[in-house]
Amino acid sequence: MTTLLLAGLLAACQQAPPPPSSPPPAPQNGYGATERAFVELAIATDEQALKLLELTDSAQLRGNRNIELAELRKLLDAPYVNHHAGHDMPGMPTDAEIQLASTDPEALKQFVRAHLTESLEVLKSAGPAITHPPTAEVVRLMERHRTAELAAG
Amino acid sequence: MRKPLFHIAAVIGLIATALSIPVAAQGEPVRVAEFLAECPISHRLADDPIVLPNLAGASHFHDFFGNHSTNARSTLQSMEGQTGNCNPASDISSYWVPTLYRNNTAIAPTGVTFYYLGEGVNNPAAIQPTPYGLKIVAGNAKATGDADSIARWSCLHAGHVNPSKNFVTCPAGTMLETYLDFPQCWDGRNLDSADHKSHMSYPVAGGCPSSHPVSVPKLRMVLRYPVNGSTAGLRLASGTGQTMHGDFFNVWPRAEMERRVRNCLNVVIKCDHNGNHG
Repeated sequence: MTTLLLAGLLAACQQAPPPPSSPPPAPQNGYGATERAFVELAIATDEQALKLLELTDSAQLRGNRNIELAELRKLLDAPYVNHHAGHDMPGMPTDAEIQLASTDPEALKQFVRAHLTESLEVLKSAGPAITHPPTAEVVRLMERHRTAELAAG
Repeated sequence: MRKPLFHIAAVIGLIATALSIPVAAQGEPVRVAEFLAECPISHRLADDPIVLPNLAGASHFHDFFGNHSTNARSTLQSMEGQTGNCNPASDISSYWVPTLYRNNTAIAPTGVTFYYLGEGVNNPAAIQPTPYGLKIVAGNAKATGDADSIARWSCLHAGHVNPSKNFVTCPAGTMLETYLDFPQCWDGRNLDSADHKSHMSYPVAGGCPSSHPVSVPKLRMVLRYPVNGSTAGLRLASGTGQTMHGDFFNVWPRAEMERRVRNCLNVVIKCDHNGNHG
């Protein structure tokens, strides 16, 4: 037993340092780098969109975003960090756009529509890239919401 | 006392100009640890293969330099064997930055140089080649002001304009330029990390800290934009000038990187695009 243990220790000492590596890939269908990036992005987008949607009289739009945020936050595996604040991201209204929309009903209408169409594009792109089933389910929920919201005009 | 010396220098300069011979070429090689790649804009996409992997169209817009194939799905394997637009052509690495806009018009940089330097550490002889496949993000895309930004904006051919962390007003006939220094100390293990930053560090007091003990070339990005005059309407896809950030995905063929580190950085000599010196 002792001999075996010593042999094992010696073998371990002789091993070359491991080659450099990227972070370990998530197990297949796990919550990996793509899922984590998507969830953080979607939370940032929905939170910023809510500031725009507060200016509308649509409780449905605000309700849907809040449902999504609750589902997205359940997926987080680490404290949430907003990596995208202040950025000009698809589907995410900028502070300047929200400011303009607060005084211009036509701009508000346009920016709400842009939020919906652009974030739907992102979801369609994310769909095939997301393999983690619970995350994929939230992607589908968000797609359904936006498709219905656009249809409702 | 300085005047005669100045005259001699001026005369040598005049002779060199008349003979069309660079002064440095007549003497010793320039003792600056440097090699470089110049890579114009290759393409523009709302993709970020490091921060938003596989999520095509989900990012703010980036200007990509170097490897022509880079997109949201890029991996080391997908970029190997592709071509890019760098001088030297052997550098098929990918580099990207947020797109610059004046109001809603995108402006591409017209001068794009990536310097690989031996400065910042006291012992350039210990610099190791940048690991193949290393990913580095420099700058702070989330900067909210000067305090949390390392951006640097200045004017080409207008040294009297003080550099700033935000956009500066450059006089007519000059160009807006920005510098970004990437961290040059590696943890020796990871080609990337969850926050894309913690596997790298800046040096401390001329050396790499024990947490990140491997000294690699210091990448300095210098971009020049055909912009001068008022800064009104200028913005990056990530926000103010302070949010300037750069991403680097190393796909230099190992032998090309190793040769340059050995022949240019370790021995502190300025090399040309091909990694040679006079």
